Amino acid sequence: MSLTETLPVPALAAPAATPRLAQALAGLRSRVWRGALALILPLAVLALWHAATLNGWVAQQILPAPALVWTTLLDLWHSGELWTNLAISLTRVAWGFSAALVIGLALGVAMGLSKTAEAYLYPSFKAISEVPVLGWIPLLIMLVGIGEAMKILVIAKAAAVPITINTQQGIRNIPQPYLEVARVYRFNPRQLWLKVIFPSTLPSLFNGFRYGLTNAWLSLVTVELLASSEGIGYQMVWGRQLFQLDVVMACMLVIGLVGLAIDLFLQITETRLLRWRRAAF
Amino acid sequence: MKRALVSLLFGFVSAFGVAANPAVIRVGVSTGASGSPATFGGAATAIAQQRGVLEAAFKPDGIRVEWVFFKGAGPAANEALASKQLDFIWQGDLAAITGKAGGLNTRILLGDSRLAPSYLVVPAKSKAASLEDLKGRKFALFKGTTQQLTFNRIAAQRGLAERDFKTINMDGATTLAALAAGDIDGVYLPVNALQLQERGVVRVIEDTRRDPLVAAHTHLLVDAAFEQRHPQLVQKLVSALVANAAWTSDEANRQQVFTGWARAGVPVSAWQRDYQPDALKQRLTPLLDPFFYAHYRDAVRFARQFGLIRKDVDVDAWIAPQYLREALKAQKLERYWTPLAADGKGAA
Repeated sequence: MSLTETLPVPALAAPAATPRLAQALAGLRSRVWRGALALILPLAVLALWHAATLNGWVAQQILPAPALVWTTLLDLWHSGELWTNLAISLTRVAWGFSAALVIGLALGVAMGLSKTAEAYLYPSFKAISEVPVLGWIPLLIMLVGIGEAMKILVIAKAAAVPITINTQQGIRNIPQPYLEVARVYRFNPRQLWLKVIFPSTLPSLFNGFRYGLTNAWLSLVTVELLASSEGIGYQMVWGRQLFQLDVVMACMLVIGLVGLAIDLFLQITETRLLRWRRAAF
Repeated sequence: MKRALVSLLFGFVSAFGVAANPAVIRVGVSTGASGSPATFGGAATAIAQQRGVLEAAFKPDGIRVEWVFFKGAGPAANEALASKQLDFIWQGDLAAITGKAGGLNTRILLGDSRLAPSYLVVPAKSKAASLEDLKGRKFALFKGTTQQLTFNRIAAQRGLAERDFKTINMDGATTLAALAAGDIDGVYLPVNALQLQERGVVRVIEDTRRDPLVAAHTHLLVDAAFEQRHPQLVQKLVSALVANAAWTSDEANRQQVFTGWARAGVPVSAWQRDYQPDALKQRLTPLLDPFFYAHYRDAVRFARQFGLIRKDVDVDAWIAPQYLREALKAQKLERYWTPLAADGKGAA
């Protein structure tokens, strides 16, 4: 709480005159505070990592020193390898995730709105989604080859599962009174969708998106391991195969940070959209 | 937990200069296990594993022998050795070199197999007749393994390089699926190429049989820390493996060796063709002769040139020939195998 104690002045200075400013400042302060909290664990891990390599607690070949990983990261950055690979991976995730959005939303809406659709689709959907990607890969290679299509399909499958489930749940959980009110006001289908269904399923949808994106990002590495010669996942695997674990760690850092950035972006978008929803109700 | 305690105890004991025998000796095998009971093929060490020669050698000391298979091949075995989970590794040349260059403190003890042909295979329907025909096409490579080195050497001989092909990194199992689907245009495979050809999945269009310079080597190496603590155990293991290599190199056992290897999946017929017209002795020699040294030096040079390693490896200091020498002398096998000159052709 030291942060609030050191900065009490502006908040007290003109509380009545500029409540919005005070509110914004308080918001900023809590955000800074939360950012600082988020750094504690990584910094502790970094310290532990440093100590472990310094004292030789673990083999340096398996866990290279932080400084070496940093140098490797810079090397990869300057040589342009990192950007090329990252761009390729992001493109794959973008395509896979887009496909997952289409499939997941369609399936989720269908199964959420119609019990009949659910009866037809849910068992197959569940069975397919429970089988690990590894099992599908030989079949996928047969069907679409080992090119981009296979990679995008694997990513799409991984991302579509949480999107479907959350969409379905979101629609299922729309409070019955909302729908009744809509019926009383004789909403047309367009109004029903825009004013009731979409806003009230939004939090659940975003849950699905975020899980979906995490899954997409995770399965990227799996598929780039299996058959690829480019991409950030491939670069990580390549580092491992050549026993250059510093390259692996550098890639892990990049993958983690990019994943975090994407999730943050979704979070912000969600907050924006939910603010609009609050205003609408 | 138990293992942690045991290794803690060993650390403690060795700090006082007394190296008590370990309860278990762990031998890593840089290939996935197949067959039941689990085994592998193509190596003298595989026959040693099947015949239980190490188990028999260490039984009087009350030491168990544990065989650990790695589907991730040599690179995965390197990680296990770095984490002190292994004492010995059977592996191919390139993985050992990347491990050594990456800072693993290992010593090469004896050769295991050499001169194994690589077969250039294409999907059964492919019209390609040579490596040159595959320029610009999709080529599978399990990077970081001996396969990549072989490919680079063959390509270099023809004035080609990896970048002349669309190389795709994939492991063995994926390669086979992709081949069957006709989705890669070529790959260099060892003996299992002949098996796939028998089944009509692929066509073999070239092989490296007559070329000692591109054929891969396998060997057995030891963790140097283990060697320092237990030189007498290292000697015992090398001696047992040399005796086994002599048995395995004996033409009287040819059929038994192939049958043993076939337990891992590649049929006897494929092994017979792979070994035609070679004598077992030529391929299964444990010798660390001028050819062995030259091959590893050359492999280091290649690996460096292709950016597979970032540090040089001093091959002469890496190889520890004294255990092999001692075993050959004790078993009067000094003249059993013929050492080869550096070019792998004439006798040394």
